[in-house]
Amino acid sequence: MSDAATAMNSPPKGASLIRYRAKRMLRGTPLYLGVAGIAVWLITYWLFDEVWELPRFEKIPGPVTVFSELISRDPFQGVSFFTLELYRDIYLSCRRILFAFLIATGVGVPLGLLMGWSTRFRHYTFPILETLRPIPIMAWIPLAILMFKGFETPVIFLATLASLFVTTLNTLLGVDSIDQSYFRAARCLGAKPRDIFLHVVVPGALPFIFTGLQISVGVAWFSLVAAEMVSGDGGLGYLIVDSYMNNVTVPMVIGMLTLGFVGWITSALVRMLGNRLMQWRVRGLAMQGR
Amino acid sequence: MGSRASTTVPEESHGALSIRNVSKIYDPEGLNVLAVDRCSFEIGAGEVCMVVGPSGCGKTTLLNAIAGFHSITSGEIRMDGKLLCGSEKPLAEQGADRVVVFQNGALFPWMTLADNVAYGPVVQGRLSKREARDKAEQMLAEAGLGDFTEKFPGEISSGMARRAEVVRAIINDPKILLLDEPYRGMDALTKSIMHETLLDIYDRTGVTIFFITHDLEEAVFLGDHVVVMATRPARVKRTVNVNIPRPRDFHVRTSETFRQLMAEIRGAVDEEARKAFEAGERELA
Repeated sequence: MSDAATAMNSPPKGASLIRYRAKRMLRGTPLYLGVAGIAVWLITYWLFDEVWELPRFEKIPGPVTVFSELISRDPFQGVSFFTLELYRDIYLSCRRILFAFLIATGVGVPLGLLMGWSTRFRHYTFPILETLRPIPIMAWIPLAILMFKGFETPVIFLATLASLFVTTLNTLLGVDSIDQSYFRAARCLGAKPRDIFLHVVVPGALPFIFTGLQISVGVAWFSLVAAEMVSGDGGLGYLIVDSYMNNVTVPMVIGMLTLGFVGWITSALVRMLGNRLMQWRVRGLAMQGR
Repeated sequence: MGSRASTTVPEESHGALSIRNVSKIYDPEGLNVLAVDRCSFEIGAGEVCMVVGPSGCGKTTLLNAIAGFHSITSGEIRMDGKLLCGSEKPLAEQGADRVVVFQNGALFPWMTLADNVAYGPVVQGRLSKREARDKAEQMLAEAGLGDFTEKFPGEISSGMARRAEVVRAIINDPKILLLDEPYRGMDALTKSIMHETLLDIYDRTGVTIFFITHDLEEAVFLGDHVVVMATRPARVKRTVNVNIPRPRDFHVRTSETFRQLMAEIRGAVDEEARKAFEAGERELA
Protein backbone atom coordinates (compact mmCIF):
# COMPACT_ATOMS: atom_id res chain seq x y z
CA MET A 1 0.00 0.00 0.00
CA SER A 2 1.48 3.33 -0.98
CA ASP A 3 1.62 6.34 1.32
CA ALA A 4 -0.95 8.26 -0.64
CA ALA A 5 -3.41 5.40 -0.39
CA THR A 6 -2.81 5.00 3.33
CA ALA A 7 -3.40 8.70 3.86
CA MET A 8 -6.66 8.43 1.97
CA ASN A 9 -7.79 5.54 4.09
CA SER A 10 -7.34 7.29 7.40
CA PRO A 11 -10.30 9.61 7.92
CA PRO A 12 -9.70 13.18 9.16
CA LYS A 13 -9.97 13.76 12.91
CA GLY A 14 -10.50 16.69 15.29
CA ALA A 15 -10.17 20.18 13.89
CA SER A 16 -9.45 19.00 10.38
CA LEU A 17 -12.65 16.95 10.48
CA ILE A 18 -14.70 20.00 11.47
CA ARG A 19 -13.00 22.04 8.76
CA TYR A 20 -13.69 19.30 6.25
CA ARG A 21 -17.35 19.13 7.23
CA ALA A 22 -17.81 22.89 7.11
CA LYS A 23 -16.22 22.98 3.67
CA ARG A 24 -18.41 20.17 2.49
CA MET A 25 -21.52 21.86 3.78
CA LEU A 26 -20.73 25.05 1.94
CA ARG A 27 -19.61 23.36 -1.23
CA GLY A 28 -21.49 20.08 -1.25
CA THR A 29 -24.97 21.04 -0.14
CA PRO A 30 -25.84 24.24 -1.97
CA LEU A 31 -27.35 26.04 1.00
CA TYR A 32 -27.50 29.32 -0.85
CA LEU A 33 -29.82 27.77 -3.47
CA GLY A 34 -32.31 26.91 -0.73
CA VAL A 35 -32.07 30.42 0.69
CA ALA A 36 -32.48 31.94 -2.76
CA GLY A 37 -35.51 29.70 -3.43
CA ILE A 38 -37.20 30.86 -0.24
CA ALA A 39 -36.34 34.49 -1.02
CA VAL A 40 -37.88 34.28 -4.50
CA TRP A 41 -41.03 32.80 -3.03
CA LEU A 42 -41.25 35.45 -0.28
CA ILE A 43 -40.68 38.29 -2.70
CA THR A 44 -43.34 37.00 -5.09
CA TYR A 45 -45.78 36.62 -2.21
CA TRP A 46 -44.92 40.12 -1.01
CA LEU A 47 -45.31 41.68 -4.48
CA PHE A 48 -48.63 39.97 -5.16
CA ASP A 49 -50.09 40.71 -1.78
CA GLU A 50 -48.66 43.92 -0.41
CA VAL A 51 -47.26 45.83 -3.37
CA TRP A 52 -49.61 45.13 -6.27
CA GLU A 53 -52.51 44.09 -4.03
CA LEU A 54 -53.85 41.59 -6.55
CA PRO A 55 -57.58 40.85 -6.13
CA ARG A 56 -57.21 37.22 -4.97
CA PHE A 57 -54.90 38.24 -2.16
CA GLU A 58 -56.91 41.02 -0.60
CA LYS A 59 -57.98 38.98 2.45
CA ILE A 60 -54.63 37.29 2.91
CA PRO A 61 -52.03 38.85 5.23
CA GLY A 62 -48.78 39.62 3.44
CA PRO A 63 -45.30 38.57 4.54
CA VAL A 64 -44.46 41.93 6.05
CA THR A 65 -47.64 41.92 8.15
CA VAL A 66 -47.05 38.33 9.24
CA PHE A 67 -43.40 38.94 10.04
CA SER A 68 -43.99 42.14 12.03
CA GLU A 69 -46.73 40.35 13.98
CA LEU A 70 -44.41 37.39 14.55
CA ILE A 71 -41.69 39.53 16.14
CA SER A 72 -44.04 41.78 18.06
CA ARG A 73 -43.96 41.54 21.86
CA ASP A 74 -47.59 42.43 21.97
CA PRO A 75 -49.15 40.86 18.86
CA PHE A 76 -52.31 42.45 17.60
CA GLN A 77 -53.94 39.12 16.70
CA GLY A 78 -52.62 37.17 19.66
CA VAL A 79 -49.83 34.90 18.34
CA SER A 80 -46.12 35.64 17.98
CA PHE A 81 -42.69 34.40 19.02
CA PHE A 82 -43.31 36.10 22.34
CA THR A 83 -46.60 34.42 23.22
CA LEU A 84 -46.69 31.18 25.11
CA GLU A 85 -49.58 29.98 23.02
CA LEU A 86 -47.43 29.34 19.95
CA TYR A 87 -45.01 27.16 21.92
CA ARG A 88 -47.84 25.32 23.59
CA ASP A 89 -49.30 24.48 20.19
CA ILE A 90 -45.92 23.37 18.85
CA TYR A 91 -45.36 21.26 21.94
CA LEU A 92 -48.80 19.64 21.78
CA SER A 93 -48.47 18.80 18.10
CA CYS A 94 -44.92 17.50 18.47
CA ARG A 95 -45.92 15.30 21.38
CA ARG A 96 -48.80 13.82 19.40
CA ILE A 97 -46.52 13.27 16.41
CA LEU A 98 -43.95 11.59 18.61
CA PHE A 99 -46.47 9.14 20.03
CA ALA A 100 -48.07 8.50 16.67
CA PHE A 101 -44.71 8.01 14.96
CA LEU A 102 -43.41 5.69 17.66
CA ILE A 103 -46.56 3.56 17.62
CA ALA A 104 -46.67 3.46 13.83
CA THR A 105 -42.99 2.50 13.64
CA GLY A 106 -43.18 0.02 16.52
CA VAL A 107 -46.10 -1.77 14.92
CA GLY A 108 -45.48 -1.10 11.22
CA VAL A 109 -41.85 -2.18 10.93
CA PRO A 110 -42.25 -5.60 12.64
CA LEU A 111 -45.50 -6.14 10.76
CA GLY A 112 -43.89 -5.34 7.42
CA LEU A 113 -40.84 -7.49 8.20
CA LEU A 114 -43.06 -10.44 9.09
CA MET A 115 -45.17 -9.95 6.01
CA GLY A 116 -42.08 -9.90 3.85
CA TRP A 117 -40.50 -12.83 5.67
CA SER A 118 -43.44 -15.23 5.74
CA THR A 119 -45.59 -15.70 2.66
CA ARG A 120 -48.25 -17.33 4.80
CA PHE A 121 -48.45 -14.35 7.11
CA ARG A 122 -48.58 -12.03 4.13
CA HIS A 123 -51.53 -13.89 2.65
CA TYR A 124 -53.36 -13.54 5.96
CA THR A 125 -52.76 -9.85 6.45
CA PHE A 126 -52.38 -8.25 3.05
CA PRO A 127 -56.11 -8.12 2.16
CA ILE A 128 -56.95 -6.35 5.43
CA LEU A 129 -54.15 -3.87 4.95
CA GLU A 130 -55.16 -3.11 1.40
CA THR A 131 -58.83 -2.67 2.37
CA LEU A 132 -58.13 -0.28 5.21
CA ARG A 133 -55.41 1.71 3.48
CA PRO A 134 -57.52 3.69 0.97
CA ILE A 135 -59.94 4.95 3.64
CA PRO A 136 -59.09 8.62 4.13
CA ILE A 137 -58.22 9.91 7.57
CA MET A 138 -61.21 12.26 7.52
CA ALA A 139 -63.47 9.23 7.27
CA TRP A 140 -61.97 7.73 10.40
CA ILE A 141 -62.65 10.82 12.52
CA PRO A 142 -66.18 9.92 13.73
CA LEU A 143 -65.05 6.40 14.55
CA ALA A 144 -62.03 7.70 16.43
CA ILE A 145 -64.20 10.01 18.51
CA LEU A 146 -66.63 7.20 19.29
CA MET A 147 -63.87 4.73 20.16
CA PHE A 148 -61.55 6.88 22.27
CA LYS A 149 -62.10 9.17 25.19
CA GLY A 150 -60.77 12.68 25.61
CA PHE A 151 -58.98 14.87 23.11
CA GLU A 152 -55.57 13.26 22.91
CA THR A 153 -56.18 9.61 22.11
CA PRO A 154 -58.43 10.06 19.07
CA VAL A 155 -55.97 12.55 17.60
CA ILE A 156 -53.02 10.24 18.18
CA PHE A 157 -54.98 7.31 16.78
CA LEU A 158 -55.74 9.22 13.58
CA ALA A 159 -52.16 10.40 13.16
CA THR A 160 -50.88 6.87 13.74
CA LEU A 161 -53.17 5.24 11.25
CA ALA A 162 -51.90 6.79 8.04
CA SER A 163 -48.24 6.45 9.07
CA LEU A 164 -48.78 2.84 9.98
CA PHE A 165 -49.83 1.91 6.46
CA VAL A 166 -46.93 3.75 4.89
CA THR A 167 -44.40 2.20 7.25
CA THR A 168 -45.75 -1.31 6.87
CA LEU A 169 -45.91 -1.19 3.11
CA ASN A 170 -42.44 0.27 2.71
CA THR A 171 -40.95 -2.28 5.08
CA LEU A 172 -42.64 -5.05 3.11
CA LEU A 173 -41.24 -3.67 -0.14
CA GLY A 174 -37.86 -3.41 1.55
CA VAL A 175 -37.84 -7.12 2.33
CA ASP A 176 -38.97 -7.90 -1.22
CA SER A 177 -36.15 -5.80 -2.62
CA ILE A 178 -33.40 -7.89 -1.00
CA ASP A 179 -31.42 -9.83 -3.59
CA GLN A 180 -32.00 -13.59 -3.34
CA SER A 181 -28.28 -14.27 -3.38
CA TYR A 182 -27.90 -12.71 0.09
CA PHE A 183 -30.33 -15.27 1.47
CA ARG A 184 -28.50 -18.05 -0.32
CA ALA A 185 -25.11 -16.81 0.80
CA ALA A 186 -26.29 -16.64 4.41
CA ARG A 187 -27.68 -20.17 4.27
CA CYS A 188 -24.49 -21.42 2.65
CA LEU A 189 -22.51 -19.94 5.51
CA GLY A 190 -24.64 -21.84 8.00
CA ALA A 191 -27.22 -19.23 9.03
CA LYS A 192 -30.44 -20.52 10.59
CA PRO A 193 -33.78 -18.84 9.79
CA ARG A 194 -33.49 -16.67 12.88
CA ASP A 195 -30.02 -15.50 11.85
CA ILE A 196 -31.25 -14.76 8.36
CA PHE A 197 -34.07 -12.66 9.77
CA LEU A 198 -31.73 -10.65 11.97
CA HIS A 199 -28.72 -10.40 9.69
CA VAL A 200 -30.24 -10.31 6.20
CA VAL A 201 -33.90 -9.33 6.33
CA VAL A 202 -33.61 -6.49 8.84
CA PRO A 203 -30.48 -4.74 7.53
CA GLY A 204 -31.40 -5.45 3.92
CA ALA A 205 -34.79 -3.79 4.32
CA LEU A 206 -33.41 -0.83 6.26
CA PRO A 207 -32.98 1.57 3.29
CA PHE A 208 -36.63 1.11 2.33
CA ILE A 209 -37.72 1.26 5.95
CA PHE A 210 -36.13 4.66 6.36
CA THR A 211 -37.54 5.97 3.12
CA GLY A 212 -40.89 4.81 4.49
CA LEU A 213 -40.29 6.49 7.85
CA GLN A 214 -39.52 9.81 6.21
CA ILE A 215 -42.78 9.63 4.30
CA SER A 216 -44.58 8.35 7.36
CA VAL A 217 -43.57 11.26 9.55
CA GLY A 218 -44.85 13.65 6.89
CA VAL A 219 -48.09 11.72 6.59
CA ALA A 220 -48.43 11.81 10.36
CA TRP A 221 -48.29 15.60 10.16
CA PHE A 222 -51.07 15.91 7.65
CA SER A 223 -53.35 13.49 9.37
CA LEU A 224 -52.59 15.14 12.70
CA VAL A 225 -53.70 18.48 11.37
CA ALA A 226 -56.89 16.97 9.96
CA ALA A 227 -57.54 15.36 13.34
CA GLU A 228 -56.77 18.47 15.35
CA MET A 229 -59.03 20.53 13.15
CA VAL A 230 -61.98 18.39 14.12
CA SER A 231 -61.45 17.06 17.57
CA GLY A 232 -58.34 18.73 18.88
CA ASP A 233 -57.65 20.91 21.82
CA GLY A 234 -54.62 23.00 20.98
CA GLY A 235 -51.93 22.09 18.52
CA LEU A 236 -50.87 23.73 15.26
CA GLY A 237 -53.77 22.28 13.25
CA TYR A 238 -56.14 23.60 15.84
CA LEU A 239 -54.44 27.00 15.76
CA ILE A 240 -54.97 27.23 11.99
CA VAL A 241 -58.65 26.30 12.07
CA ASP A 242 -59.43 28.22 15.21
CA SER A 243 -57.87 31.39 13.77
CA TYR A 244 -59.85 30.99 10.59
CA MET A 245 -63.08 30.52 12.55
CA ASN A 246 -62.35 33.66 14.54
CA ASN A 247 -61.42 35.59 11.43
CA VAL A 248 -57.85 36.30 12.52
CA THR A 249 -55.82 35.48 9.45
CA VAL A 250 -52.33 36.32 10.68
CA PRO A 251 -52.13 33.53 13.30
CA MET A 252 -53.52 31.20 10.62
CA VAL A 253 -50.57 31.90 8.35
CA ILE A 254 -48.17 31.75 11.31
CA GLY A 255 -49.63 28.35 12.18
CA MET A 256 -49.14 27.09 8.63
CA LEU A 257 -45.56 28.26 8.36
CA THR A 258 -44.62 26.92 11.78
CA LEU A 259 -46.17 23.59 10.97
CA GLY A 260 -44.26 23.37 7.71
CA PHE A 261 -41.01 24.22 9.40
CA VAL A 262 -41.43 21.83 12.32
CA GLY A 263 -42.50 19.10 9.91
CA TRP A 264 -39.37 19.65 7.88
CA ILE A 265 -37.21 19.35 11.00
CA THR A 266 -38.86 16.06 11.96
CA SER A 267 -38.19 14.48 8.57
CA ALA A 268 -34.62 15.77 8.69
CA LEU A 269 -34.20 14.07 12.07
CA VAL A 270 -35.49 10.79 10.68
CA ARG A 271 -33.13 11.10 7.73
CA MET A 272 -30.19 11.76 10.03
CA LEU A 273 -31.02 8.74 12.15
CA GLY A 274 -31.23 6.63 9.01
CA ASN A 275 -27.83 7.80 7.79
CA ARG A 276 -26.35 7.03 11.17
CA LEU A 277 -27.72 3.52 11.14
CA MET A 278 -26.78 2.88 7.53
CA GLN A 279 -23.15 3.95 7.34
CA TRP A 280 -22.60 1.18 4.80
CA ARG A 281 -25.04 2.85 2.46
CA VAL A 282 -23.86 6.40 3.04
CA ARG A 283 -20.25 5.38 2.43
CA GLY A 284 -21.15 3.31 -0.62
CA LEU A 285 -23.09 6.19 -2.17
CA ALA A 286 -20.26 8.58 -1.35
CA MET A 287 -17.96 6.41 -3.46
CA GLN A 288 -20.30 6.97 -6.37
CA GLY A 289 -19.96 10.70 -5.78
CA ARG A 290 -23.42 11.11 -4.26
CA MET B 1 -9.32 -39.00 -12.33
CA GLY B 2 -6.08 -38.57 -10.50
CA SER B 3 -5.82 -36.43 -7.44
CA ARG B 4 -3.42 -33.62 -6.98
CA ALA B 5 0.16 -34.31 -6.02
CA SER B 6 0.76 -31.76 -3.30
CA THR B 7 2.06 -32.14 0.21
CA THR B 8 0.25 -29.07 1.54
CA VAL B 9 -3.17 -30.68 1.34
CA PRO B 10 -4.37 -31.63 4.82
CA GLU B 11 -5.16 -35.34 5.22
CA GLU B 12 -8.77 -34.84 6.33
CA SER B 13 -9.61 -32.49 3.47
CA HIS B 14 -11.94 -34.37 1.20
CA GLY B 15 -14.49 -33.08 -1.20
CA ALA B 16 -14.68 -35.68 -3.94
CA LEU B 17 -17.84 -35.05 -5.88
CA SER B 18 -19.67 -37.57 -7.94
CA ILE B 19 -22.41 -36.45 -10.28
CA ARG B 20 -24.29 -39.42 -11.70
CA ASN B 21 -26.96 -39.29 -14.35
CA VAL B 22 -28.36 -36.03 -13.05
CA SER B 23 -31.35 -34.59 -14.88
CA LYS B 24 -33.33 -31.53 -14.08
CA ILE B 25 -36.71 -30.64 -15.51
CA TYR B 26 -38.05 -27.20 -14.66
CA ASP B 27 -41.76 -26.98 -14.10
CA PRO B 28 -42.56 -30.68 -14.59
CA GLU B 29 -46.33 -30.05 -14.77
CA GLY B 30 -46.19 -27.20 -17.22
CA LEU B 31 -43.62 -26.48 -19.84
CA ASN B 32 -41.29 -29.36 -19.10
CA VAL B 33 -38.07 -27.61 -19.84
CA LEU B 34 -35.27 -30.14 -19.69
CA ALA B 35 -32.35 -28.12 -18.36
CA VAL B 36 -29.88 -30.87 -17.53
CA ASP B 37 -29.93 -34.23 -19.26
CA ARG B 38 -28.27 -37.27 -17.66
CA CYS B 39 -25.16 -35.47 -16.71
CA SER B 40 -22.34 -37.51 -15.19
CA PHE B 41 -18.84 -36.66 -14.11
CA GLU B 42 -16.49 -37.14 -11.20
CA ILE B 43 -14.36 -34.60 -9.40
CA GLY B 44 -11.57 -36.01 -7.26
CA ALA B 45 -10.85 -34.58 -3.83
CA GLY B 46 -8.76 -31.46 -4.15
CA GLU B 47 -9.22 -31.10 -7.86
CA VAL B 48 -10.14 -28.00 -9.78
CA CYS B 49 -12.98 -28.77 -12.14
CA MET B 50 -13.82 -26.09 -14.67
CA VAL B 51 -17.21 -26.29 -16.33
CA VAL B 52 -17.59 -24.44 -19.61
CA GLY B 53 -20.49 -24.25 -22.00
CA PRO B 54 -22.73 -21.79 -23.79
CA SER B 55 -24.86 -19.31 -21.88
CA GLY B 56 -27.96 -20.76 -20.38
CA CYS B 57 -26.94 -24.36 -20.95
CA GLY B 58 -27.70 -25.41 -17.41
CA LYS B 59 -24.32 -25.11 -15.72
CA THR B 60 -25.74 -22.99 -12.93
CA THR B 61 -28.58 -25.46 -12.50
CA LEU B 62 -25.99 -28.08 -11.70
CA LEU B 63 -24.25 -25.78 -9.23
CA ASN B 64 -27.56 -24.95 -7.59
CA ALA B 65 -28.25 -28.65 -7.16
CA ILE B 66 -24.89 -29.23 -5.48
CA ALA B 67 -25.35 -26.20 -3.21
CA GLY B 68 -28.89 -27.24 -2.32
CA PHE B 69 -30.64 -24.22 -3.83
CA HIS B 70 -32.60 -26.29 -6.35
CA SER B 71 -33.78 -29.88 -6.44
CA ILE B 72 -32.85 -32.39 -9.12
CA THR B 73 -35.38 -34.48 -11.03
CA SER B 74 -33.41 -37.71 -11.30
CA GLY B 75 -29.94 -39.11 -10.79
CA GLU B 76 -27.82 -38.46 -7.74
CA ILE B 77 -24.99 -36.32 -6.46
CA ARG B 78 -22.63 -37.67 -3.82
CA MET B 79 -19.88 -36.00 -1.88
CA ASP B 80 -17.21 -38.30 -0.45
CA GLY B 81 -19.61 -41.16 -1.08
CA LYS B 82 -22.37 -39.57 0.99
CA LEU B 83 -25.61 -38.80 -0.80
CA LEU B 84 -26.25 -35.08 -1.21
CA CYS B 85 -29.31 -35.44 -3.35
CA GLY B 86 -30.94 -38.25 -5.28
CA SER B 87 -34.30 -39.61 -6.24
CA GLU B 88 -35.58 -39.97 -2.66
CA LYS B 89 -34.15 -36.67 -1.53
CA PRO B 90 -34.21 -34.33 -4.52
CA LEU B 91 -33.02 -31.25 -2.63
CA ALA B 92 -29.61 -31.27 -0.96
CA GLU B 93 -29.27 -29.70 2.46
CA GLN B 94 -27.42 -26.43 2.43
CA GLY B 95 -24.29 -26.33 4.46
CA ALA B 96 -21.00 -24.63 4.96
CA ASP B 97 -19.13 -27.64 3.53
CA ARG B 98 -20.14 -26.36 0.08
CA VAL B 99 -19.81 -22.61 -0.10
CA VAL B 100 -20.85 -20.64 -3.17
CA VAL B 101 -19.20 -17.54 -4.59
CA PHE B 102 -21.93 -15.87 -6.59
CA GLN B 103 -22.01 -14.51 -10.11
CA ASN B 104 -22.83 -10.97 -9.05
CA GLY B 105 -21.15 -11.07 -5.68
CA ALA B 106 -23.05 -11.51 -2.46
CA LEU B 107 -20.99 -9.91 0.26
CA PHE B 108 -23.48 -8.42 2.67
CA PRO B 109 -23.34 -4.69 1.89
CA TRP B 110 -24.29 -3.82 5.47
CA MET B 111 -21.26 -5.53 7.01
CA THR B 112 -17.60 -4.56 6.82
CA LEU B 113 -15.28 -6.99 5.07
CA ALA B 114 -14.04 -8.35 8.40
CA ASP B 115 -17.61 -8.91 9.62
CA ASN B 116 -18.54 -10.52 6.34
CA VAL B 117 -15.65 -12.96 6.55
CA ALA B 118 -16.24 -13.65 10.23
CA TYR B 119 -19.95 -14.30 9.64
CA GLY B 120 -19.76 -18.02 8.83
CA PRO B 121 -17.78 -19.18 11.86
CA VAL B 122 -19.83 -16.96 14.20
CA VAL B 123 -23.22 -18.00 12.92
CA GLN B 124 -22.26 -21.66 13.00
CA GLY B 125 -21.09 -21.20 16.58
CA ARG B 126 -17.64 -22.54 15.76
CA LEU B 127 -15.75 -19.47 16.94
CA SER B 128 -16.52 -16.61 19.27
CA LYS B 129 -17.09 -13.24 17.67
CA ARG B 130 -13.67 -12.09 18.79
CA GLU B 131 -11.81 -15.16 17.54
CA ALA B 132 -13.66 -15.10 14.25
CA ARG B 133 -12.82 -11.44 13.70
CA ASP B 134 -9.16 -12.02 14.48
CA LYS B 135 -9.05 -14.91 12.05
CA ALA B 136 -10.96 -12.93 9.44
CA GLU B 137 -8.56 -10.02 9.69
CA GLN B 138 -5.60 -12.32 9.39
CA MET B 139 -7.03 -14.13 6.37
CA LEU B 140 -7.97 -10.87 4.67
CA ALA B 141 -4.43 -9.64 5.23
CA GLU B 142 -3.07 -12.82 3.64
CA ALA B 143 -5.25 -12.13 0.62
CA GLY B 144 -3.83 -8.61 0.37
CA LEU B 145 -6.91 -6.95 1.87
CA GLY B 146 -5.37 -6.00 5.21
CA ASP B 147 -6.08 -2.30 4.69
CA PHE B 148 -9.70 -2.85 3.85
CA THR B 149 -11.01 -4.92 6.75
CA GLU B 150 -13.17 -2.07 8.04
CA LYS B 151 -14.46 -1.05 4.62
CA PHE B 152 -17.94 -1.83 3.42
CA PRO B 153 -18.33 -3.74 0.14
CA GLY B 154 -19.78 -0.63 -1.50
CA GLU B 155 -16.50 1.18 -0.94
CA ILE B 156 -14.15 -1.23 -2.69
CA SER B 157 -13.65 -2.43 -6.25
CA SER B 158 -15.46 -5.46 -7.56
CA GLY B 159 -12.17 -7.34 -7.82
CA MET B 160 -11.43 -6.80 -4.16
CA ALA B 161 -14.99 -7.67 -3.24
CA ARG B 162 -14.75 -10.95 -5.10
CA ARG B 163 -11.47 -11.73 -3.43
CA ALA B 164 -13.01 -11.04 -0.04
CA GLU B 165 -15.90 -13.28 -0.95
CA VAL B 166 -13.52 -16.16 -1.63
CA VAL B 167 -11.93 -15.52 1.77
CA ARG B 168 -15.40 -15.52 3.35
CA ALA B 169 -15.96 -18.95 1.82
CA ILE B 170 -12.54 -20.39 2.68
CA ILE B 171 -12.65 -19.42 6.37
CA ASN B 172 -15.28 -22.13 6.84
CA ASP B 173 -12.90 -24.86 5.62
CA PRO B 174 -15.39 -26.00 3.03
CA LYS B 175 -14.87 -29.32 1.30
CA ILE B 176 -15.79 -27.77 -1.98
CA LEU B 177 -15.85 -24.25 -3.29
CA LEU B 178 -18.56 -23.53 -5.86
CA LEU B 179 -17.82 -20.55 -8.06
CA ASP B 180 -20.40 -19.33 -10.54
CA GLU B 181 -18.60 -17.16 -13.09
CA PRO B 182 -17.13 -15.07 -10.31
CA TYR B 183 -14.91 -12.97 -12.56
CA ARG B 184 -17.42 -12.26 -15.28
CA GLY B 185 -17.14 -8.78 -16.69
CA MET B 186 -13.72 -8.05 -15.26
CA ASP B 187 -10.95 -6.77 -17.46
CA ALA B 188 -8.19 -9.20 -18.41
CA LEU B 189 -5.60 -7.67 -16.09
CA THR B 190 -7.82 -7.73 -13.02
CA LYS B 191 -8.85 -11.23 -13.95
CA SER B 192 -5.30 -12.51 -14.00
CA ILE B 193 -4.70 -10.99 -10.55
CA MET B 194 -7.88 -12.73 -9.36
CA HIS B 195 -6.60 -16.00 -10.77
CA GLU B 196 -3.33 -15.68 -8.92
CA THR B 197 -5.15 -15.05 -5.64
CA LEU B 198 -7.41 -18.00 -6.19
CA LEU B 199 -4.53 -20.31 -7.08
CA ASP B 200 -2.65 -19.08 -4.04
CA ILE B 201 -5.61 -19.94 -1.81
CA TYR B 202 -5.98 -23.26 -3.58
CA ASP B 203 -2.33 -24.15 -3.11
CA ARG B 204 -2.61 -23.42 0.59
CA THR B 205 -5.92 -25.17 1.29
CA GLY B 206 -6.27 -27.85 -1.36
CA VAL B 207 -10.02 -27.30 -1.43
CA THR B 208 -11.96 -28.94 -4.24
CA ILE B 209 -13.15 -26.33 -6.72
CA PHE B 210 -16.18 -26.43 -8.99
CA PHE B 211 -15.84 -23.43 -11.23
CA ILE B 212 -18.29 -22.31 -13.92
CA THR B 213 -16.95 -20.02 -16.62
CA HIS B 214 -17.28 -18.84 -20.18
CA ASP B 215 -13.67 -17.90 -20.39
CA LEU B 216 -11.70 -20.75 -21.96
CA GLU B 217 -8.34 -19.30 -21.07
CA GLU B 218 -9.44 -19.07 -17.46
CA ALA B 219 -10.63 -22.66 -17.65
CA VAL B 220 -7.31 -24.01 -18.90
CA PHE B 221 -5.20 -21.82 -16.63
CA LEU B 222 -6.99 -22.79 -13.43
CA GLY B 223 -8.34 -26.27 -14.05
CA ASP B 224 -7.18 -29.82 -13.54
CA HIS B 225 -9.78 -30.73 -16.03
CA VAL B 226 -12.30 -28.89 -18.11
CA VAL B 227 -15.79 -30.25 -18.58
CA VAL B 228 -17.37 -28.98 -21.78
CA MET B 229 -21.15 -28.95 -21.63
CA ALA B 230 -23.44 -29.28 -24.61
CA THR B 231 -26.12 -26.67 -25.06
CA ARG B 232 -29.49 -27.15 -23.43
CA PRO B 233 -30.30 -29.69 -22.23
CA ALA B 234 -26.89 -29.75 -20.60
CA ARG B 235 -24.95 -32.94 -21.19
CA VAL B 236 -21.26 -33.53 -20.81
CA LYS B 237 -19.88 -33.17 -24.28
CA ARG B 238 -16.33 -34.00 -23.37
CA THR B 239 -13.80 -33.73 -20.61
CA VAL B 240 -10.33 -32.39 -21.25
CA ASN B 241 -7.53 -33.05 -18.77
CA VAL B 242 -5.13 -30.20 -18.24
CA ASN B 243 -1.70 -31.70 -17.71
CA ILE B 244 0.12 -28.55 -16.73
CA PRO B 245 2.07 -28.86 -13.49
CA ARG B 246 1.36 -26.63 -10.51
CA PRO B 247 2.15 -24.11 -9.21
CA ARG B 248 1.25 -22.26 -12.37
CA ASP B 249 2.02 -18.67 -13.19
CA PHE B 250 1.32 -16.42 -16.14
CA HIS B 251 4.14 -17.95 -18.20
CA VAL B 252 1.95 -21.01 -18.59
CA ARG B 253 -0.45 -18.99 -20.72
CA THR B 254 2.07 -18.64 -23.51
CA SER B 255 3.20 -22.29 -23.57
CA GLU B 256 2.56 -24.67 -26.44
CA THR B 257 0.60 -27.14 -24.29
CA PHE B 258 -1.65 -24.32 -23.20
CA ARG B 259 -2.36 -23.32 -26.76
CA GLN B 260 -3.12 -26.85 -27.83
CA LEU B 261 -5.53 -27.33 -24.94
CA MET B 262 -7.24 -24.05 -25.73
CA ALA B 263 -7.67 -25.09 -29.35
CA GLU B 264 -9.07 -28.45 -28.34
CA ILE B 265 -11.64 -26.94 -25.98
CA ARG B 266 -12.51 -24.11 -28.31
CA GLY B 267 -13.41 -26.61 -31.01
CA ALA B 268 -15.82 -28.38 -28.68
CA VAL B 269 -17.36 -25.23 -27.24
CA ASP B 270 -17.78 -23.28 -30.46
CA GLU B 271 -20.06 -25.83 -31.99
CA GLU B 272 -22.31 -25.74 -28.92
CA ALA B 273 -22.24 -22.00 -28.67
CA ARG B 274 -23.40 -21.74 -32.27
CA LYS B 275 -26.24 -24.16 -31.62
CA ALA B 276 -27.27 -22.25 -28.50
CA PHE B 277 -27.15 -18.94 -30.31
CA GLU B 278 -29.26 -20.21 -33.17
CA ALA B 279 -31.79 -21.71 -30.78
CA GLY B 280 -31.95 -18.26 -29.16
CA GLU B 281 -32.66 -19.72 -25.79
CA ARG B 282 -33.18 -17.59 -22.76
CA GLU B 283 -31.02 -18.29 -19.76
CA LEU B 284 -32.53 -20.39 -17.04
CA ALA B 285 -32.15 -19.54 -13.40
